[in-house]
Amino acid sequence: MADTTPSSTPGAMTDAERRALVASTRRFDLRRLLGGLFLLYGIICTILGVVHNASDMKQTGGIAINLWAGIGMIVLALLFFLWDRLAPVPEEDIIGSAEQVEYEKAVGEAREVG
Amino acid sequence: MLLPPTSLAAATDISIRLNLSWVDYLMLIVYFGVVISIGFIARSRVKTSMDFFLSGRSMPAWITGLAFVSANLGATEILGMAANGAQIGVATLHYYLVGAVPAMVFLGLVMMPFYYGSKVRSIPEFMLRRFGKAPHLVNSLAFAISNVLIAGINLYAMAIVIEAMLGWPEWVAIIVSAAFVLVYITLGGLSSAIYNEVMQFFVIIAGLVPLTIVGLHRVGGWGGLKDAFAKTGSVKHLSAWAGTAIGNVSNPIGANWLAIVLGLGFVLGFGYWTTNFTEVQRAFSAKNMSAARRTPLVAAFPKLFIPFIVVVPGLIGAAVLGNQLAAQGDATHLSYNDVIPKLIQMYLPEGVLGVAVTGLLASFMAGMAANVSSFNTVFTYDIWQRYIKPKMSDAHYLRVGRYVTIVGVLIGIATAFIAAGAGNIMTYMQTLFSFFNAPLFAVFILGLLWKRMTPTAALWSYLAGIAAPTVVWVSYLNNPKLFATGTAETLYGAIISFVTVIVVGVIISTFTKPKDVSQLKGLVYGVGKIDMSMDAVASDTAWYRSPALLGTVALILCVVLYLPFL
Repeated sequence: MADTTPSSTPGAMTDAERRALVASTRRFDLRRLLGGLFLLYGIICTILGVVHNASDMKQTGGIAINLWAGIGMIVLALLFFLWDRLAPVPEEDIIGSAEQVEYEKAVGEAREVG
Repeated sequence: MLLPPTSLAAATDISIRLNLSWVDYLMLIVYFGVVISIGFIARSRVKTSMDFFLSGRSMPAWITGLAFVSANLGATEILGMAANGAQIGVATLHYYLVGAVPAMVFLGLVMMPFYYGSKVRSIPEFMLRRFGKAPHLVNSLAFAISNVLIAGINLYAMAIVIEAMLGWPEWVAIIVSAAFVLVYITLGGLSSAIYNEVMQFFVIIAGLVPLTIVGLHRVGGWGGLKDAFAKTGSVKHLSAWAGTAIGNVSNPIGANWLAIVLGLGFVLGFGYWTTNFTEVQRAFSAKNMSAARRTPLVAAFPKLFIPFIVVVPGLIGAAVLGNQLAAQGDATHLSYNDVIPKLIQMYLPEGVLGVAVTGLLASFMAGMAANVSSFNTVFTYDIWQRYIKPKMSDAHYLRVGRYVTIVGVLIGIATAFIAAGAGNIMTYMQTLFSFFNAPLFAVFILGLLWKRMTPTAALWSYLAGIAAPTVVWVSYLNNPKLFATGTAETLYGAIISFVTVIVVGVIISTFTKPKDVSQLKGLVYGVGKIDMSMDAVASDTAWYRSPALLGTVALILCVVLYLPFL
């Protein structure tokens, strides 16, 4: 479909703009948000698990559930960060979807395209 | 500070009020802070109406896949399936392994190429391309109206649970949750909805896994659970297919295996998962054909394992709470729907408690957001653009989309308040709307396989397919002896609806004029060719991304997961 999806405004972006766009898109990658959220939740639960160990054990019947859940969520967070680092969103995906604005407008207006 | 829930005093307590500490509230506040931030981040990328309604068709498969499963993982679904687990036991697995996963595989392997390949922007638009305006208008209106009202009904269902769990007045719960949905959908459109669905997916799992672990530990593991059911004589709780023989039905669903497979699996399951735009929209936002086909397949794997953290807590609830449970809660009984909140109250200490409550509230909101984000798309593209104001600029439709979101949420709020006053009418309407998917699937499947099916046939068979189950249902209300249970009525009603569409569709097609074959390219099986590598990238060819392989493995797992429960 590459030939039917005109990159409508070829060369409309300068290199600096492209770099800024890629950087800003990657900064807010969903995996980083998920990693951040679970890191915070994991730390909170781990601390509670240590501080309230006795009362936790009593309620759960002997499982330090906050400790385990906390550690689990921290590991999950680190996996999200690692994944984000190893496989960042491809540059051409970011640039590509930003450059097909005219094509998208045509689709949005239900005009014949391609 | 915490309740001593294991003591006898608490065990007979039918309140599900949770004792949240400031730490739990902090987790809740952080989560909804992130939700709103996602709205703002997504907003900066919304430049066209396609960005707003279909995320600019740019999403990778893991995100659309998790959003696909998550859009259906609303809290009403979670509480309802746990309730089924408590009431009918592992037979609840049918809703996942018969009613969902095969349909998801079918969508990914068979139907998605037609949908994504024809570049339609919504399910009603596929109806338009295949059958023309009359069935399209009926389909669009039915979808838009039912969806916005369902959003309201779910909003009310949520308010009841929030009131019981947290003590917020119903109206506060309704307004606050609707306001969150309004803000993040109006800002970021479908991208907001999808990102939040993915986040909700992980948080609800992080809440339910500890609940299941502690619950199983409390009943003495799987063996303890078995012993508990053996003692109470309800051994059938642990066998999924017992009492489903044809002519000798004694299972709690009240239907034989054929009706379960055809009704729940084929008609209802396929109808819901392959033609409900609220679900399929997630796949439409995928970045290419391969990702679109993989969306429901990626979703199938979490779906296979969700019962282990939803239905198992239901079983634990049945074992632990046993005679305190009743179909309807009253002064001395918990309703089956209260099982999960009750177990949370009993087993989760401050900390994981906050995660679980956040997960439940998030899934309530994600469910409503999914309804709203598919409603605004169908209203704008299929009703406004097609019949009211065509040929306007894209900016106009983007603006309309945002206004429609606001109107949709307001109607939802109004519906929730009406539901609070007249619950029965709402239940009836919800049942009525549930009749919309099965006939749509029947029309699509006939239209996809048979190029001779005519637009007139589509319109009238679709309408007949909505009318037929309505008649069956009204007869059942007047004469409850017709079917063993309400669920059995639903299964047979769906089968009758499907058969009605096929019969009426074939009869009318034989004496009306079909569309010219040249107009059906890529819309009917065997007519024209569909480009399966549309927008493909090199990594799509990795062996583990093969749709056929993913689908086959999912189907095998459907069978394997039943084996322990025969």
